[in-house]
Amino acid sequence: MIRRTFQVAMSLGSHRVLPGAPCVLPRLNPTSAFGSSTDSLVSRFCPEKMDMKDYALPNASWCPDMLNLYQEFLEKTKTDGWIKLPSFKSNRDHIQGLKLPFGLAVASDKNDWRICTRCIQEEGQGYEYVIFFHPSEKKSICLFQPGPYLEGAPGFAHGGSLAAMMDEVFSKTAYLAGEGLFTLSLNIRFKNLIPVGSLAVLNVDVEKIEDQKLYISCIAQSRDQQRVYAKCSGVFLQLQLEEESSQ
Amino acid sequence: MDLSLPNPSWSKDMRLLFDQFMKKSEDGSWKHLPSYKNKFSRRIEDIKVFFPDAKLIKEKISQAQLFPRNFEEGLGFEYAMFHNHAEDRTVCIFQGGPYLQGAPGFLHGGAIATMIDSTLGMTALIAGGIVMTANLNINFKRPIPLCSVVVINSQVDKVEGRKLFLSCNIRSVDEQTLYSEATSKNLCLFWVWFSLSYISLGFVFGV
Repeated sequence: MIRRTFQVAMSLGSHRVLPGAPCVLPRLNPTSAFGSSTDSLVSRFCPEKMDMKDYALPNASWCPDMLNLYQEFLEKTKTDGWIKLPSFKSNRDHIQGLKLPFGLAVASDKNDWRICTRCIQEEGQGYEYVIFFHPSEKKSICLFQPGPYLEGAPGFAHGGSLAAMMDEVFSKTAYLAGEGLFTLSLNIRFKNLIPVGSLAVLNVDVEKIEDQKLYISCIAQSRDQQRVYAKCSGVFLQLQLEEESSQ
Repeated sequence: MDLSLPNPSWSKDMRLLFDQFMKKSEDGSWKHLPSYKNKFSRRIEDIKVFFPDAKLIKEKISQAQLFPRNFEEGLGFEYAMFHNHAEDRTVCIFQGGPYLQGAPGFLHGGAIATMIDSTLGMTALIAGGIVMTANLNINFKRPIPLCSVVVINSQVDKVEGRKLFLSCNIRSVDEQTLYSEATSKNLCLFWVWFSLSYISLGFVFGV
């Protein structure tokens, strides 16, 4: 596996790159269609029949605020066009039948690889979160409750854990809104610390899509919006996943 | 228990780098920084030295543990930091494990952000005492393969009153590949230091 990883790293280095270009991945022909519509991306991303465990469901560790808001948005999935995104242990489960393009796909994959925000699986100890996505408005809401294993300053969530949560919501939103695949940049302004065990609501908007890049922003605040925890903006690279060829 | 020491999950590259920096530490120019899961564990050990008969009230000890140190060996963040006092910079050697995946086969952007925040935070802590990250700006140049080893070089760029401006870059072991660059602004919280001094000691000794 390690040898294959190095092979992947070497092939990255050998891609044609313009000197001084900030992005190492080759540019696509701008006229090539990012044709997968949001609806088709969502339907592939949220399969009706799931044999994998969905971690974005209420459990005993969720605080009352989180449960209430979850119920509120669950109602909105029936009436206002919101969709609850499933959350699996690995990103590979989200993109079954697809793979990373341009030889970036790593052939061997251990079953115990986990997505960063599902790294701590004991209920309530790590990341407890659920993401609701609105396809036509290209925005998301994430309900996030950091557990005691995400501590930084005593009693408060580690800045990095919030950064990881924001990057994760960005990456799901960017993918469904426009096939954004890799984070190019993140700019986070921290305003206040999030107490461990409390609810933070992340409101995410796709600002614009141009030049093979997706510009996306987020505000993390308390439920009553009285306390802003952080503001973040990010840029994602648009890349289409490839169909896995049957062998 | 100091978690920034080699364990069986460390790859050959990681051990090599660690040994190189430990060698540099022999003449005192570099210093290895210890790292604990629970900031209070160090305090508990200090208490035991002076009060060997003291019985700890377990319920009062925080269940909480420092985020990057909450994984079994090799599964999450494996890292060690070294500080050069004369050059005022900190180097972190980092091996990201299989529980930090983003795109399949690569490290999650948020895991990279966590390590950048930890490294810059440590640099700021040494330079300015108790600090809080105000702003973090990261440019990702290349995806980092999962389970590979990278070197994070960080430094203080300037100090303006209570604000510290820092920057860092993430490179491959041979320094040929640049994975990310980041800048950060940290705020010194001196009023916290004076009013909550027992926590400040935890900050100084815990990473």
